[in-house]
Amino acid sequence: MPATALTLDQVRIRHADRSAHTPDGVTLHVDSGEVVLLLGPSGCGKSTAALAMNGLVPHAIPADLEGSVTVCGVDAARSTTAQLAEHVAMVFQDPDAQIVTESVLDDVCFALENMLLPVDEVLARAESALRTVGLWHRRDDSPDVLSGGARQRLAIACALAMRTAVLVLDEPTANLDPSGSADVYAVLRRVVADGTRSVVLIEHDVDAALPIVDRVVVLDREGRTAFSGTPRDVIAGHADEIASLGVWLPTATAVAQRLASAGIDLGTVPLTMPELTEAMRNTDLPEPSVDVTERPHGERLISIRDLTVSRGERTLLDRVSLDVHTGDFLAIIGANGAGKTTLIQAMTGIARPPKRHVELAGIDAATRDTRALAQRAGFVFQNPEHQFVANSVADELAYGLHVHGASSGRRLDDAEIAERVERMLARLGLSEHRDVHPFLLSGGQKRRLSVGTALIVGAPILALDEPTFGQDRERADELMAMLSDLRDAGSTIIVVSHDMQLVAEYASRVVVLADGAIAADGPTGSILSDNTLLQRNSLRQPPLARAMSELADPAWHRVTRLADLPEPLR
Amino acid sequence: MTGTDAAQTRPAATRPAARRSLQTLNPLATIAATLPVIVVLVFTRDILTPAVFIGIAYLLLLTGTRMTSRRLILLLVALPVAAAVLTVGFGLWTDSSDLDHSVELLRIGDYRLFLSAFEVGAATALRLVSILSLALLTGLTSSGPDMVRSAVAHLRVPYRVGYAALASYRFVPRFRYELDVIRKAHRARGARGGRGPIAALRRTIGYIVPLLASAIRHAERVSLSMDARAFGAHPTRTERYEVPLRVRDVVFVVVLWVVAAVTIIGIRIL
Repeated sequence: MPATALTLDQVRIRHADRSAHTPDGVTLHVDSGEVVLLLGPSGCGKSTAALAMNGLVPHAIPADLEGSVTVCGVDAARSTTAQLAEHVAMVFQDPDAQIVTESVLDDVCFALENMLLPVDEVLARAESALRTVGLWHRRDDSPDVLSGGARQRLAIACALAMRTAVLVLDEPTANLDPSGSADVYAVLRRVVADGTRSVVLIEHDVDAALPIVDRVVVLDREGRTAFSGTPRDVIAGHADEIASLGVWLPTATAVAQRLASAGIDLGTVPLTMPELTEAMRNTDLPEPSVDVTERPHGERLISIRDLTVSRGERTLLDRVSLDVHTGDFLAIIGANGAGKTTLIQAMTGIARPPKRHVELAGIDAATRDTRALAQRAGFVFQNPEHQFVANSVADELAYGLHVHGASSGRRLDDAEIAERVERMLARLGLSEHRDVHPFLLSGGQKRRLSVGTALIVGAPILALDEPTFGQDRERADELMAMLSDLRDAGSTIIVVSHDMQLVAEYASRVVVLADGAIAADGPTGSILSDNTLLQRNSLRQPPLARAMSELADPAWHRVTRLADLPEPLR
Repeated sequence: MTGTDAAQTRPAATRPAARRSLQTLNPLATIAATLPVIVVLVFTRDILTPAVFIGIAYLLLLTGTRMTSRRLILLLVALPVAAAVLTVGFGLWTDSSDLDHSVELLRIGDYRLFLSAFEVGAATALRLVSILSLALLTGLTSSGPDMVRSAVAHLRVPYRVGYAALASYRFVPRFRYELDVIRKAHRARGARGGRGPIAALRRTIGYIVPLLASAIRHAERVSLSMDARAFGAHPTRTERYEVPLRVRDVVFVVVLWVVAAVTIIGIRIL
């Protein structure tokens, strides 16, 4: 029997300023060489549990910790984080926050120097770690010039070089674009291949993680261990319970569930897309009824003509022409540096475009009149905190009304403002938090409030730049569902996103940008089912579309979203 | 690897070009050499002393450091222009009642401008420029990390303090970017309070809360990541870069002190 590398026994953690324990009783054994995927709904304390594995909780982050954490036979409660670093290395979510020094090589050496290793050993380990993650040739570069994915690979190299028995990765790809996370997983596959290192992986993208894990542990909402076992036993055996916890199932499993509810039994529970394709090939499938009817175009709301934006020598946007119509749910996709953010900021006037190239609901988007712009388009930034200007949730909502008045431009009196704020609070589900400082809300609440501040002004257009970046699937879905409702109520939504499945599920129209120019523009289904087009522009099909494109019946190739699958039986 | 990452095919950056003479000095040596001189300069009142030290500093900077066009503009355009502006400014401002009234340059009504006032202005301006150019000897020849390493190695500064300072260097570009985003985000909400300096000040204060919040969060994350990497595990840490104090550092300090002493005393005697 292999030795146990890491044990969490009935661990309950209460942060210094909280009353509840999260996690409230997590038990976890990781054998040496084993790769464990830790799943759980948001807020269940997965990350806190990870921080307890090398003693950051409670040594660096004050908290009450009950139960025991044992790493390689060492009691974490009785040793410092620095001592535990001999046994546990960690990779965090934000690659930027893991860089301490001025060069790639120095950063990998940082931990080794702290461990007082001799210089030769430091350099030898650093070289081997950097070679593993494919960054050795960039050792003299500043980490600043690396892409997000490369920076996260650097963080992994820093952890590998410590040659610890246990490696803990907390959401290592949540801040990365698809190509960055693909690179990170390519590295992780190599890291776990020799089976000498125990790995604890927290990851919301189950599809990406499953191929490399030996065991899955699912926590419930309180952070107690609910299920533990091989991926097949846990996911196939408890799919319904896991889904009802708010944990995202592998896309293949979710599809099989949906088919089962429509009366199509695949005879097996697929965990991966190849398994799903295989099972569906062996099953009699009805013709899918993909709804390809386009909604009639509304009136033209934004019209972009020959828009070119350059900064210095670089051309960010190259003669872009585009119309956005009332009721569109437009997703702008493209590889890194394709000009997505520049386009969405120019078309809403957030960054002033050149004059007379962008018409935004009757005005030139190049206007300096910020009031006129805000009355036409609300803009939600990636980090909602950046937009908060007031000291309470209610004031935050009232701010826009004070500045802009009613959508007609008429000034509102205090009673009218109070009434509108009250209505918006109820709509956002924030009524009981009306007097709370916006910064003290939870992540999901902050996001809802930032959308609310844009909505309350009554702008017909809502633009969001990477609204789901760094969030788990549950929150991402909650936000996108809210946007869908808004669209049904007549708003026009524009998003920039790299989450292809979210784009598939919610957008009505997709624009593909490549090197500052529009490479494709059309209904979501037709763009996302065109794999050649996407690959040409360094994009990947969303997982569902990829699996369906392997089926024999071409009618199924048009299936890109769960809603396209056969309807559940009544 | 999936596909070829554009970042991967980029050639690695080349090592910095061969270092010029002053850049091989320990940063502590340039500080030790210039600091006493700077202190003396603060108390000078004449024109000649700062002028001579500006000459010495420029000679060292132009021959001993790597010159980029930005640095050349700083030394040959920005500083002289600043000196001229300050001379005129201080000259006009100086209370001339106690000064020598023998050379009158200008008379407008009751206002009389004397040459001596400009001399005071020039002395003040040159004093400031001379202090600045001596400080540039350290500033342009050493990097922050070297300074920190040297201070840890030779001044017994605890390495935790030194490396915390190093990590905070990295915050600056991040904050600059963050501030830009916050500014855009606030503009998107529609500016309140109109135009003018007071409204601008209020807006700026509005940027501070989100900037501070994200700064604190970022600092916490960085410190967690440092802790997780055995930072502070031992009283010392391996140092791959030696920043030694060599004979030439001592020679540089002594020579500069001697030159300074001779110059200052010589000017007083003559």
